[in-house]
Amino acid sequence: MDTLALLFHGFEVALTPTNLMWAFIGSVLGTAIGVLPGIGPALTIALLLPVTVSVGPVSAFIMFAGVLYGAMYGGSTTSILINTPGEAGSMMTALEGNKMARAGRGAAALATAAIGSFVAGTIATLLLTFAAPAVAELAFLLKPADYFALTILAFTSVAVVMGASRVRGFVSLFMGLALGLIGIDAMTGQPRMTFGVADLLDGVELTVVLVSVFAVGEILYVASRYVHEQGDIVPIKGQAFMTRDDWRRSWKPWLRGTALGFPIGTIPGGGSEIPTMLSYTLEKKLSRHKDEFGKGAIEGVAGPEAANNASAAGVLVPLLTLGLPTSATAAILLAAFQNYGLQPGPFLFSSNPDLIWGLIASLYIGNVMLLVLNLPLVGVWVKLLQVPRPQLYAGILVFAMIGIWGVSGSVFDLLLMAALGVVSYVMRVYGFPIPPLLIGLILVPLAETQLRTALAAGQGSVSVLFETPISITFLVLSFLFLFAPMVLKRLRAAA
Amino acid sequence: MMSLRNRPWWLGLAVMFMGAVCFHASTELAATAQYAAIGPGLFVAAVGLGLIVLGVLLLIQIARGEVFEPEEAENASAGKTMDKRAFFTALVAVILPALTIEALGLPVTAMLSFMLVARAFGSRRLVSDLIVGFVLGSLSWLLFGWLGLQLGGFFPLAGL
Repeated sequence: MDTLALLFHGFEVALTPTNLMWAFIGSVLGTAIGVLPGIGPALTIALLLPVTVSVGPVSAFIMFAGVLYGAMYGGSTTSILINTPGEAGSMMTALEGNKMARAGRGAAALATAAIGSFVAGTIATLLLTFAAPAVAELAFLLKPADYFALTILAFTSVAVVMGASRVRGFVSLFMGLALGLIGIDAMTGQPRMTFGVADLLDGVELTVVLVSVFAVGEILYVASRYVHEQGDIVPIKGQAFMTRDDWRRSWKPWLRGTALGFPIGTIPGGGSEIPTMLSYTLEKKLSRHKDEFGKGAIEGVAGPEAANNASAAGVLVPLLTLGLPTSATAAILLAAFQNYGLQPGPFLFSSNPDLIWGLIASLYIGNVMLLVLNLPLVGVWVKLLQVPRPQLYAGILVFAMIGIWGVSGSVFDLLLMAALGVVSYVMRVYGFPIPPLLIGLILVPLAETQLRTALAAGQGSVSVLFETPISITFLVLSFLFLFAPMVLKRLRAAA
Repeated sequence: MMSLRNRPWWLGLAVMFMGAVCFHASTELAATAQYAAIGPGLFVAAVGLGLIVLGVLLLIQIARGEVFEPEEAENASAGKTMDKRAFFTALVAVILPALTIEALGLPVTAMLSFMLVARAFGSRRLVSDLIVGFVLGSLSWLLFGWLGLQLGGFFPLAGL
């Protein structure tokens, strides 16, 4: 079957009333958590993982896709209206968007962000539709040494890019690797680093770690440095959305943002921060209204917002085709696949076309839903910000507890939650990035298996790791990534 | 510039300690399962050594006066000094579930933890927080139980 026929089949799967309902629930939840502080898409999906016990994989992933895109729509709303970018990807939006809102053009900023996200999300999903099967075909060619080199690339890039310091990024990564090695060794059946604790034989669950480091660590951190003041919400009642001039100034940045966001999103460590910054810098350079930048230029909202959404779709390419997560959210999606006993990768396209194509089709549907949900209802979403913070954070802890207790029913895991919560509190206080820990934890089994297979095939000779052009390319790229901070610094300074 | 006494030397030492624990664990793994020098201990040893090296690098950075800036988060001011009372109240809320969930069940545990976190964030509405926590815990117990999760009894101490 060609791609279009498969996609058509995907729509048949996604458009059933039940799956539409899950897409709707996901979109609503995603937008809500995007608006609320303290919870990101990764944590939300982690807390929703318990539903995988009773909901089928197709429906669950359709819901998760809604959460993924919805969180970004919600994030841009708060960036624009109260200048609180929830994540790195919306920082640039806040820069110009909030200025626009203060100048009485909030509705236009929201509209260009939402429509730009829609355009970028749709185009990027289209690119994903055609790129993913091709990459999956290529993945069949990868040898163990290539796969090992690929995981090294993912490790280095994530450790280097996310965070203020390379050393701290690598510390976080290695802590994740160590956690991931706990438990029975899959190849020899020996227990490793269990220190005689029976509960550790099965290893440490990603869900437990993710909920602990995101929810519990965040609660402890914010509690210790809580600021009561609530940012004032700029009202937008009665404003017109976009004028003809706004459209004219927005459509090119949308397309350029997409062109930047999607490819960078597919690269390990690309993330959403780099493409949004690049897009902002580019729009500033190209704009005929340079003087407006810093005071509320619509191009500065349109471009980065599109880049942000496109990069989220880009992240799905390595995840679905190679089983390689490159962000915290992708890591938790991988865990969700594993909960169902599914391994994303080239084989999933042939073994489970319903799931893959249903998921891709639901991304199109989710985008339409989000556009409809967001623009007219922005007033409703903003009301969510009135939830009092003490009770909001208290509720997050209750759900974190349920997420862990409900899946494992283990008191040991609850103790682990407290311990990891404290560790991640320390990491926050001293500026250690969290994502490398999660990527290390989830990818270490893959890295180790591939390394041991490769070395065993080469009878212990290390040179086997450098024999194919693919593995050499990945390893050279990993090395080059060590110099990425210098480039990033210049980008930040330019913005 | 930080004074020598205020520098977080312990961070580097803690990372080195973690590395040492990993490395020690790797030496205890039997070499019998090895083939061509690759056994279950290889990665563990590599990660342990890596952490030790990183710990040393961290100590060097600290000696050079590296500035450790806290992460920015919503509703938190990175520059603010730590509110110990709030932190420890929240910490109790986080540790509590492990101690009470088997005996008191999810709804009561949720009620207590909810109240404590709200308190850590400055809420002084004790009774209403307890009620909200209990309702939230009970509803979740019903909903997630209905979805097929094993959440234990409603109030095991009373046999419910």
